Amino acid sequence: MDISALIDGLHPLEIKVLTAFGTSQAGVSLATEQLVTATTLEPSQLSMAIEWLLAKQLLSVKSETITPVVSLTNIGETYFEQSSPIERVLSAARGVSSTGKRLTIPDLHTKEGLDPSDVSKAVGRLKKEGVLLIVQGGCIESTGRPSPAAESMRALLQQLHEAPRELESFPESHRQLIQDHAVKRGNSKEPFRIDDRVTRAYVLSSTGVTAVDHLAKQGVAEEVSQLSPELLKDGSWRNKRFRKYTISLRAPRIGTGKKHPYREFLDTVKTKLVSMGFQEMRGSLVETEFWNMDALFMPQFHPARDIHDVYFVKEPTHATHIAEPFLSRVTKAHENGGTTGSTGWGYTFDSQRAKRLVLRSQGTAVSARTLAAAPAVPGKYFSIARCFRYDQVDATHATDFFQVEGIMLGEDINFRTLLGLLNLFAREVAQAKEVKFLPAYFPFTEPSVELHVRHPRLGWMELGGAGLFRPEVTLPLGVSVPVIAWGLGLDRMAMVALGIHDIRELFTDNLDLIRTTKGFF
Amino acid sequence: MPTISIFKDDFETLLAGPQARTSPVSLEQLEEWLMLVKGEIKGHNPETGELRIELQDSNRPDLWCCEGIARQIRIKQQGKLKPYPFLKQKPRATQLLMVVPGLERVRPHIAACTARGYRVTEEGLAQLIQTQEKLADIFGRKRRTVSIGLYQLAKIQFPVTYDLVKPDQARFIPLGMETVMTLSEILMVHPKGLEHGHILEGQDRLPLLRDAKGQALSFPPIINSREIGEVRVGDEDLFVEVTGTDLPMVVLTLNILAANLADRGATIEPIETRYPYKTALGKSVVTPQDLNKPRTITMETIEQALGQKLGAPKVKKALEVYGYNVSVGKKTVKATPPPYRQDLLHAMDVVEDVAISRGYHEFLPVMPAQFTVGGLSRIEQLSDRARELMVGLGFQEIISNILGSPEAYCDAMGLGETEWGRMVAVDNAMALTFSCLRQWMLPSLLRVEAASSRAFYPHRLFEAGEVAIPDPSHELGSRTSTVLSAVLAHTTAHFSEIHSCLDVLLYHLDRPYTLEPLAHPSFLEGRVGRIVSDRVPLGVIGELHPEVLERWQIGVPVVALEVNLTQLAESK
Repeated sequence: MDISALIDGLHPLEIKVLTAFGTSQAGVSLATEQLVTATTLEPSQLSMAIEWLLAKQLLSVKSETITPVVSLTNIGETYFEQSSPIERVLSAARGVSSTGKRLTIPDLHTKEGLDPSDVSKAVGRLKKEGVLLIVQGGCIESTGRPSPAAESMRALLQQLHEAPRELESFPESHRQLIQDHAVKRGNSKEPFRIDDRVTRAYVLSSTGVTAVDHLAKQGVAEEVSQLSPELLKDGSWRNKRFRKYTISLRAPRIGTGKKHPYREFLDTVKTKLVSMGFQEMRGSLVETEFWNMDALFMPQFHPARDIHDVYFVKEPTHATHIAEPFLSRVTKAHENGGTTGSTGWGYTFDSQRAKRLVLRSQGTAVSARTLAAAPAVPGKYFSIARCFRYDQVDATHATDFFQVEGIMLGEDINFRTLLGLLNLFAREVAQAKEVKFLPAYFPFTEPSVELHVRHPRLGWMELGGAGLFRPEVTLPLGVSVPVIAWGLGLDRMAMVALGIHDIRELFTDNLDLIRTTKGFF
Repeated sequence: MPTISIFKDDFETLLAGPQARTSPVSLEQLEEWLMLVKGEIKGHNPETGELRIELQDSNRPDLWCCEGIARQIRIKQQGKLKPYPFLKQKPRATQLLMVVPGLERVRPHIAACTARGYRVTEEGLAQLIQTQEKLADIFGRKRRTVSIGLYQLAKIQFPVTYDLVKPDQARFIPLGMETVMTLSEILMVHPKGLEHGHILEGQDRLPLLRDAKGQALSFPPIINSREIGEVRVGDEDLFVEVTGTDLPMVVLTLNILAANLADRGATIEPIETRYPYKTALGKSVVTPQDLNKPRTITMETIEQALGQKLGAPKVKKALEVYGYNVSVGKKTVKATPPPYRQDLLHAMDVVEDVAISRGYHEFLPVMPAQFTVGGLSRIEQLSDRARELMVGLGFQEIISNILGSPEAYCDAMGLGETEWGRMVAVDNAMALTFSCLRQWMLPSLLRVEAASSRAFYPHRLFEAGEVAIPDPSHELGSRTSTVLSAVLAHTTAHFSEIHSCLDVLLYHLDRPYTLEPLAHPSFLEGRVGRIVSDRVPLGVIGELHPEVLERWQIGVPVVALEVNLTQLAESK
């Protein structure tokens, strides 16, 4: 690596450490403590800078010293504040000698609440020192002599409470006491702990030496990381050096304002349809069976009605009225065809059932309303309508979903223009050049077509269904020209484009997924 | 839209016709032919030769069986439907079916025939049973309007009586049982009695089909007798009957069954039914019977609808190879559909058959020439504008279900019995999770917020979409409104932050507004306001109540706004 590039990339903390070496004698090694003094850095900052410099191989570890250091454990602190077992045994023994009572080892367990192992350790040591005697009957008596062990213990607790100290700084006798009462494996209830403190000394590497030389030559222009309004205002930025960034690092992430990828997909479809001359229609989430089915010539008691299993509204159950003349005309169309040229379904139409409120189960309900509202001729309409199906929810069935569908009215509409429109959809919406038209069945169209296309990525797929509205649909609603009804099934395309396999994920609550899904171009 | 199971070699046999040589059919070939019947292969087991086929047309029950599919294709290959002789034949005077008075109020109609000389094969029996089930289930609305019985002819002595008896008066061993049961026992114990018994609810006398010896054939529409009414592989002569509430449907069903058995090689003989009451076809009805009358359609109707000059000969040919009996005049076509069809309601149905018969690929697509101006609705334009602004304000768009739970939309929001808690509920909900329409959108966003504590903060979410607001004054009992809702969630989320967003939003939507203090259970008191413009309330803004956050298990403060865009558009 080029040395000047290396120097440019140095962090101010790193420069401080390197400078500390530069002011010392060549080849000298500096220990961590010395560096704290020389750089006046916080220990955490210093260790961070040293790690970086080690990683960049500007520094190397010269030596490593391991020093045992003694400190108090939590138990040790308690002993310091109250008293240690040896002190308590001693004072208990002295107490009974002045009152003439008897003291046994079990008394120490029960009355003093001392741990048996602590008691035996303390009594053993005090007996060895000649401070205690065990007389007949297992009674403990004090000889009245002072106990060096108890005094040493008090002194050690006092010293170590103030600060941890190196083990070597204690006299031999204290060291022995510390070792005896230090936390070891299997015995954690001791007042002292001995830890190994690792002290490292660092030395400049050859690159480090070169870097320090460069830094020295370069002079002391102060390095700044951030240009500020003040620097600009007084022009002092001219005397500053701007630290170069490591631009290869990953950018920190930020939250974005963004459209939902599925909604974006629907937006492109919307734009396509508008560009093809379609006017948007809107409808109601709650509909009557009349507009949802009856107006579409789906007989009230016929298997065709099974196609659309619907959700019924609880309250109110029925609409207040169905607009005339549509109700009477549709009734006649169902019963005997009325003036539509049809035989009708030949049953008694239930106008009360027509008022039954349901959740819209098909977007065609919106088209039916449009037909009844004096649409333009020629005219093209579309809607992207939320619909509800009474289906078990799974990876391919959602309870509510968008249906893209619409109508086209005109004197010149016929079966071949229907195929022409579907061709246009295939090309514009699915970018497909190859299409297949299959006979299909919908209760409200005749003839009916299923549009299959060869999608550039998905292969052959069903893109939609369409047909010419039956005269039993159009005539009662006051439309005398032929009408194409079409619907596009776009969810599969959307799912592939979004990389999901479960239709429920179109409405996912996974914010990470929504934030990271790329969407459409 | 039934899906049926057929076997490929059975199909090949039927396609060739009885006693003819069969030739193997490839799946590709079959797929192409299935366009004639609006069918699609949904599954194929190459080992057994079983094919699962979905039939789209719910008005063509004749196609819901192997015989019907093969027949439609066979006619196309043979150029014309060979007339079924049994339609012209006179019934034997000895084969009578008598109906007793009173049935007109219970289950008025019956039609029957005999089928002799066809030895029932395993595949044939499977198809017979499947056809019987599909016709009775789907076409017959779970046996309510049509049900079917098949019997061993040899065991029956004519005349057969369609009788009406007291529930405890008649007894026989029903199919699937070992012991003799009365009709009322069948209704209470037999699985079919439990399933279909409601059809006869409220009747003090029940239908019973019995022969001259008094043997029970069946208890229509519930169950057959095990003794006579069980058809097995190897049986040769059958008695077929259909009962129901609508005579044309009953006759059509029998016509389909007769044609199916005839296609398998059986000789069908008609039966005369004598009614003590009037029917649509008189008091004496011979079945099978062709109920179809010729339909006259102008060539102009056909050619205009198809957008193509075809000429009478081509139309005649197309309809003939699709099974019609056709004669053509100068400007008209007189077409009679085959006896197993009754789905022609309108001339347009014939038009579609012309197109299907010729093949949709025969029609060249024509680009519509009419000029129209496209555009978005006013509410969609407004919603798009609002969405743009929200994206500019750094919000991520969300889309949610509209159908949800009262728990999420109301209870978790602390709305209880308040005016904000009223919703459009579903009567026949499958689960509480999907049982009402959202009356506001904020819970939809909290749903995402509650699931996203691991996604990095801040969270800025919005959704623009529809809600259903109950409104007794509306003819539908509710209004559909487009609303916009937004939430901000992070450790220091604050009212003023969302207030700034609202300010920008309404400034650019050109609606001056004020905030009026409001008591709303979803928000902290004193930190919530009603958004009002020109005295019209447009929505609500505020800091969510910690109790609400706790119920959603959201661990950061959330501030939110909700604006009714429909209201905004309409009040402008």
